[in-house]
Amino acid sequence: MIDVDGVTCRYGDGTGDGAGVAAVDDVSLAVPDGEFLIVAGANGSGKTTLVRTFNGLATPDSGAVAVNGTPVEDDLVAARTAVGMVFQDPRDQLVAATVGADVAFGPENLGLARDEIDRRVAAALDAVNMAGREDERIASLSGGERERVAIAGALAMEPDHLVLDEPFTGLDEPARRSVVDRLRALHREGASVVVVTHDLRDVLGLADRVVGLADGRVAVDAPPEAAVEALPELDVRVPERGRGGDAVDP
Amino acid sequence: MTLSYVPGDSLAHRLDPRSKLLVQVGFAAAAYAYTTPRGLAALTLLAVGWLRLAGGGARDVWSYRFALPVLALAPLVAGATLGAPWFRPERAATTGLASYRVLLVLVVGAGYARSTPVRESRAALQRAVPGRAGQFLGVGVALVFRFLPLLKRDLLTARAAVRARGGGSLPVRDRMRLVAVAGVNRAFERADRLGTALNARCFAWNPTLPRLAFGRADAVALGAGVGLLGAAAVGAF
Repeated sequence: MIDVDGVTCRYGDGTGDGAGVAAVDDVSLAVPDGEFLIVAGANGSGKTTLVRTFNGLATPDSGAVAVNGTPVEDDLVAARTAVGMVFQDPRDQLVAATVGADVAFGPENLGLARDEIDRRVAAALDAVNMAGREDERIASLSGGERERVAIAGALAMEPDHLVLDEPFTGLDEPARRSVVDRLRALHREGASVVVVTHDLRDVLGLADRVVGLADGRVAVDAPPEAAVEALPELDVRVPERGRGGDAVDP
Repeated sequence: MTLSYVPGDSLAHRLDPRSKLLVQVGFAAAAYAYTTPRGLAALTLLAVGWLRLAGGGARDVWSYRFALPVLALAPLVAGATLGAPWFRPERAATTGLASYRVLLVLVVGAGYARSTPVRESRAALQRAVPGRAGQFLGVGVALVFRFLPLLKRDLLTARAAVRARGGGSLPVRDRMRLVAVAGVNRAFERADRLGTALNARCFAWNPTLPRLAFGRADAVALGAGVGLLGAAAVGAF
């Protein structure tokens, strides 16, 4: 469970009043285990900053975030293990030359035994349909494959929550489908998934709940069927009715 | 092409990184002990053979192209004089041999880089140098190998962006300034993003390192490394 309580994050020195600009403004939110949550909003609405507080990559100026009952700042390693993060651009996240080395990077940092690391790498690559491709060079992969390796890198930490920041940016249709399929499978297996996006067409059908942000505040917090009416006002793209496929029904 | 690890099954790939490091150290020592054309010719055969053992070739040497102008210009600068006779060939020849020596060491380094994953280099260093110093060295090597390819890609992107908007017709100095400014900006951004990525994945000073084990082939490599060091000692005295 991720508990966000009255979190505010400010950027800049606030030359006018000394307070800075609030990217996230007094947000409270709970993400239960096993939930598929979409955090939606236009560019600059505070989505990325908010989810980065989940594992201490961003520090709130006020308010608190706790993961599984422990304040994030009290145990950053525990928070970053429990909340796996996949960045908007997987190239920012992939730090090794080969697929296997990159997926193993996180578990190695946890100091796990080599056998356990090997098991996790194999399981994570299997989960994203890339089993047996440990020795391939990251540089030779397509955008969709890199995205899946980035997801595998997060999964290898065996997180309670998987957070994906704009996971479909720059992907073509087959790659988007592939990532959606993987997310659907992971959620069915019980994983908690948080997807940050300004375009819900691919994932609305998977969601249990949608939180819409505007100017750093929660403007919508509702099941998908209810949220879809309000989201266009937040400049969030939603599935067209009657198109099937990506519609609201799961 | 960026000089980095290339997965493979060559003999060099199968060697323990500690053996490869010893070969490199031995080669560098021998290159500085044997500075005659004959000695360097022998070392050339060794360097090329080593690169071939790692599955490498001319493309790997080409990845050092940014250093080649400096190595080529050095003899000209060393031979030039401010007055008559304006150029001293013997000085240029000595510096030319030194430049060539550096190139040979780079070629051997290319063989190491393309056959050794970063984390194995880190493991070898941390085992060879115990304690905090080894950790510091290992982390430094790991970060440099991770950061440099990204930085190079950013510089190439900046250069392409300048060209795409007609910058190719600008004077060289202006082009260099544009690419340098964009490169420095991107380097800072890249360093920031890499730091965030490492934080998100619980970067640790003492991670689980890969298993390293000497095999039969390592006996030959270790012997070669010790032999090169011995030859360097004989040549130096």
